[in-house]
Amino acid sequence: MAVKESTLEKPLAYSGATPRQRFVRKVTPYLFISPFFVGFAIFSLLPIVFSIFLSLAQWDGMSAIRLVGLNNFRILIQDPKFWNSLRITFIITFVCTILGTAGSTILAVLLEKVNDRLASVLRVIFFLPAVTSIVVITFIWKQLYNADYGYFNILLTKAGLPPQDWLADPKLALPALIVLLIWAGLGWDALIITAGLRSIPEELYDAGKVDGTNEWTEFLHITLPMLRPTLLFVLVTSVIYLWGIFAQPQLLTGGGALRETQTVALYLYDVGFRYNKYGYASAIAVILSLLMFISSYLNFRFVRYETE
Amino acid sequence: MVRRRKTLAYTIGGFLLLFAILYLLPYMWMVGMSLKSDSETYSPTIFPERPTLEQYQRLFFGYQFKGLTLQINFPAYYKNTVIITVISLILILFTDALAAYGFAKFEFRGKNALFWLMIGTMLLPIYATIIPSFWLFSKLKMINTYQALILPGVIDAYGIFLLKQYMETIPSEIIDAARVDGAGAFRRFWQIVLPLSRPAIGTLAVFRFLFVWNDYLWPLVVIRRENMYTLSLGIANMQLRQGMVVWGSQMAASVLATLPVIVLVLVMQREFLRGLTAGAFKA
Repeated sequence: MAVKESTLEKPLAYSGATPRQRFVRKVTPYLFISPFFVGFAIFSLLPIVFSIFLSLAQWDGMSAIRLVGLNNFRILIQDPKFWNSLRITFIITFVCTILGTAGSTILAVLLEKVNDRLASVLRVIFFLPAVTSIVVITFIWKQLYNADYGYFNILLTKAGLPPQDWLADPKLALPALIVLLIWAGLGWDALIITAGLRSIPEELYDAGKVDGTNEWTEFLHITLPMLRPTLLFVLVTSVIYLWGIFAQPQLLTGGGALRETQTVALYLYDVGFRYNKYGYASAIAVILSLLMFISSYLNFRFVRYETE
Repeated sequence: MVRRRKTLAYTIGGFLLLFAILYLLPYMWMVGMSLKSDSETYSPTIFPERPTLEQYQRLFFGYQFKGLTLQINFPAYYKNTVIITVISLILILFTDALAAYGFAKFEFRGKNALFWLMIGTMLLPIYATIIPSFWLFSKLKMINTYQALILPGVIDAYGIFLLKQYMETIPSEIIDAARVDGAGAFRRFWQIVLPLSRPAIGTLAVFRFLFVWNDYLWPLVVIRRENMYTLSLGIANMQLRQGMVVWGSQMAASVLATLPVIVLVLVMQREFLRGLTAGAFKA
C-alpha cells in the first residue's frame, strides 16, 4: 500500500509563499478527504459507539435507557433461538460456500472451453441473478416453490410424484433456501474465477501438453493450483456475504418452517425492529459483527491484493 | 488430438447451453407470469396461451374491482428509486473522487492512519450500525425521507480505494503543469484528475448503481410510509393486498424493475469485467 514517491505532488519550493499560502497548502489535502470522514463520523463512528453502549442496556426505543451490564450477553448465550440461528447460518454458509465455489469453478472452466461467441452469451445469462434485485429473485422462487400452483410441484405431479410443501416443511425449507442462494451466486463467482483463469500463463499449458496432459490432469495439476488465490478470495467473500444473509430468508419464509431458516441477521432484525428490544438486538449485532469482522480480517490476512 | 478437443468443445457447448436454459427458468417464469391474465395465473404452463399486458396496465392504472379502483403506487416506487439512485450516485462518486484524490496525490500528516481507518470501514457489516442508525434518523426526524435512504450510503471506502488506485497512475507532471499555470487544487481536481479518471469512475458507477437500485434492508428499516417505498420495498409488499395474492402484477413490477439493470449490464459489459479484474489478488 506504500505510495510511490514519484507520483506525489511535490511541494513547490518557491520562496514567495506567504504564511497564508502555506496554510492553504497544508489544509488542502484534509479538505479533499473531509466529506468522507464527516460522513464516517456521523453514520459509522457514532452508531458503532452507540451500538456497543446499547448492547449493555435495555431499551424499547421509547422509555429511558437502562444499563444492565453484560446481562444481554448472559441471556444471549442461553437463548436457544440465538443458537438455532447460529446453527442455521453456519449450515447455509458452509453448504453454499462449498457447493457454490465448486459449481462456479466448474462452470468457469467449462466456459473457457467453448467458442467465444457462445461463451459471452452464456456469461451474461449466468450473470443475470448477480445484478437482479434480491427481492425480485426471492419472489420468483417463492412462486416456483408454492405448494399449490408453483412450477416445481407442477413438474413433480407431471412426473407422477407427490407434490411437496417446499417452504412450510421444516425438512425442506432450508434446502429450498440453499438452492436459491447457490443459483443466485453462481454467475458472479464464475466471473471472478474466469478472471483468475485468464491470468494463468499460457506457457504452463503448453509445457503441460509436451508432457502429455489431458484435460483432466491439466485441470488437476495446472489450473487448480494456479487458481488457489482466486478460489480463496471467492471462498472468503462468500463466507462474509453468507454470514450476513437476511433478505432471502426473510422474504422467502420469514425464517419459518419452525425457525429452520432463521439466520442470525434475521433474528437480529426481528428482535430489534419487530419486538423493539433494541438493547438485546444490539448484543446480537455485536456478536454478528464480530463474526463478520473476523471473516473480513482473514480475507485481508490471507489474500494479498495486487494493486494494478 | 485437435479434433478430439474440438468435439469436446462442442459437447461442452451443448451441455452448457442446455444448462443455461434450465438456469433461466426463474426468469422465464417471471416474464410468463407477468403476461398471464387472471384466469391463467394458476395454469400449469410457464407461458400463457393468450398473453396480455393487463398486469402491466394495473401497475399504472390500478385494479378494477366491481366499480372500485384499487391503486398500486408503482409509479411512485419507480420515481422514488430513480431519484435516490441518481442523487446517491452523484454524491457517492463526488465524495469518493475527492477523497481518492486526497489520498493519491498529496502527502500530509496522519495520512497512513486515516487511510487505514477508511479501509477499516470496509470490514464493518451494516448490522454493526443498523439499530443506532435507525435511532439517529428518527431523532433527526428523517424517517420516511430521501435523506435517510441516501446519506448512509455515501460512506464508500471501497470506491475510494478503487479510484485511488487509478488516480495514482495519472502522471503527476500533468497535474504539476496545471499548478505552475496557477490552477488551484480544486481546479486541478475538477479539470484534470476527474476527466482522466473517467474509466474507473464508470466502473464504480455501475457497481454503485446496482447496489442502490436493488437495496432492500436499509429502506426496509427507514421507510414506513407506502408512498415513499422504493421498488424493492414496493414489490416485497405487493404480495398480499386486501387478502389478494397478486402474482401477475408482482412479476410485471419485477420485470420493469429488472429491465434497466439488464440493459445496463449489456451496455457496460466491459466495465464490469474490468471492475472485477481490477482487484487482482495473490495469496
